[in-house]
Amino acid sequence: MDVLSNLWLGFSVALSPWNLLYGFLGVLLGTIIGVLPGLGPVATISILLPFTFGLAPQAALIMLAGIYYGAQYGGSTTAILINLPGESSSVVTAIDGNQMARQGQAGLALATAAIASFLAGTFATLVIAVAAPALAEAALKFGPADYFSLMVFGLIAAVLLAHGSVVKAIGMILVGMLLGTVGIDVNTSVPRFTFGIPQFGDGMDFAVIAMGIFGIGETIVNLERSGTARVYMEKIKSLWPRPRDLKAMLAPAARGTLLGSALGVLPGGGPVLAAFSAYALEKKVSAQPERFGKGAIEGVAGPEAANNAAAQTSFIPLLTLGVPANAVMALMMGALMMHRLHPGPQLMNDRPELFWGLIASMWIGNLMLVVLNLPLVGIWAKMLTVPYRFLYPAVLIICCIGVYSVNNSALDILIATLFGFVGYLLYRLKCEPAPLLLGFILGPLIEENLRRALVITQGNPMVFIERPISATFLALTLVLIVVLAAPMIRAGRERVFKEEQA
Amino acid sequence: MKLRLSTDLVTGALFMALGAFAMVYGSRYAVGTASRMGAGYFPLLISSGLVLIGLVLLVRAIVSASGDSIGAIGWRPLALILAGVAGFGLLIDRLGLLPAGILLIVAARLADREWGIVETALLALGLTLGTAALFLWGLGLPIKLLRY
Repeated sequence: MDVLSNLWLGFSVALSPWNLLYGFLGVLLGTIIGVLPGLGPVATISILLPFTFGLAPQAALIMLAGIYYGAQYGGSTTAILINLPGESSSVVTAIDGNQMARQGQAGLALATAAIASFLAGTFATLVIAVAAPALAEAALKFGPADYFSLMVFGLIAAVLLAHGSVVKAIGMILVGMLLGTVGIDVNTSVPRFTFGIPQFGDGMDFAVIAMGIFGIGETIVNLERSGTARVYMEKIKSLWPRPRDLKAMLAPAARGTLLGSALGVLPGGGPVLAAFSAYALEKKVSAQPERFGKGAIEGVAGPEAANNAAAQTSFIPLLTLGVPANAVMALMMGALMMHRLHPGPQLMNDRPELFWGLIASMWIGNLMLVVLNLPLVGIWAKMLTVPYRFLYPAVLIICCIGVYSVNNSALDILIATLFGFVGYLLYRLKCEPAPLLLGFILGPLIEENLRRALVITQGNPMVFIERPISATFLALTLVLIVVLAAPMIRAGRERVFKEEQA
Repeated sequence: MKLRLSTDLVTGALFMALGAFAMVYGSRYAVGTASRMGAGYFPLLISSGLVLIGLVLLVRAIVSASGDSIGAIGWRPLALILAGVAGFGLLIDRLGLLPAGILLIVAARLADREWGIVETALLALGLTLGTAALFLWGLGLPIKLLRY
């Protein structure tokens, strides 16, 4: 009954006209930007962040969540219509989705993605409503040492589950943590790495870093490899799936939902991992695996359900433990902190209307996606035909004004320029920028909890293995490191990723 | 022996340089003890970790001599986009959004090899006024269109 009354509270908040409007705006803007080729969810959220600055925390959070789902869905649309997915989770959708589009089934592929996503979103909302309070209650027992170990575990897991070089990813986390130390140290009031610039006293703004790397940096990268993409839109005939198609997508969507809901909660997990795993699973259980890669509807339904479920359940660690599981959640956390809200177990008790309002708005956001996308898909497809030479100047000027508006500071734009260069450099060096963001957000928290834990015990490091919760996380971290170091397993992991991408 | 400039090699060198810089620059902050950490304790931990990771990458790149190469750098988009954004930052407080926006978009379009004068002019004016309408009059951000 508790769940019901909480959800009731949530819906009464989320259904207020203004919040509904902001949720809608978020979904709409997120889809518009997310549809643009080359812009994944992280970039889309970074670019649209300034639109939420002026809002009340409640509305800002609901709008941000809407932007996230919109970006996710927009990415799938792009992946299906032109074989050019944004950075991450729609890579898998592109495999069979684009094949379907080539065979004249673009409409069916888009509808499958929308319906599978909606089913997954509905289930994942319930998972959050049931699991979050229990987890938050458990989290109240966490001491500083436990938090420290949890975050270390989260960072290591993020490295293991992300693809790309493991060593580089650890380095990127450390770079992010180093950037996180910039500013006045809260414990000793010493300004660290401020280089005499007064504005640095408050620390680097994560929005400036994110917009620099993802907005400006990625624009440079995209310009460099500009090519023409073919849009398969002339063939969108019927959007509504036949009963036969509905039946074909149901089981894969259900499997994808369960898998995605579970994988989304893992630190470092989230939509990308969920989509890859769901695709592998569908291929394994299929009676005709040879159909995959040639336009199998299961290859769209499974991964799309999985990535949407994971997109939602990845809110669980952020909202209950205050630990972001991936880069998108790090962005969400940064946005919350700009509104002076600290995600964690207390959030649910202190601001129940905000917490449950967000959860209810997740479901409403998913509903809006279906309502918005099935009729409007023609417009999204048209957006894909807008030449890139008109789009990127628009992205740049929105980024510039957005960066400026964080603190009304022109200096921030120059800092963003620097991070634009960093973003380009990272792309060239094949370093994933996402761990940097994660390290930047988690770094100050790790330092704070490390300090607190050791102050309590007068510098005795045994506290980290004497407390059962902390010891468990450290043991898990150790297991992960062993797994990382084992070359056989590592080779296997690389093979899996290669296979999926081929 | 000629060193190949692989991504691992350059990344390793950069990580080490950044870590070393942070160690040296951060040496002015008191380290303290584990029970009473000074401002320099955590940065020292992080930056030495970074130096170590950089070293691993560097050694691995030299020993295995494999890894992806960096590839050709597109100087034109890199320089022009960054210059445009920096120019926007320098102009916005002095002259206002209109000149800053026009400068940004002209620079951005020049970054592309194919561009036309009329199209660029229209785009610069249209996008600047469009975003001004959205952010200044729509969202009420305290930015001036023109300052003099």
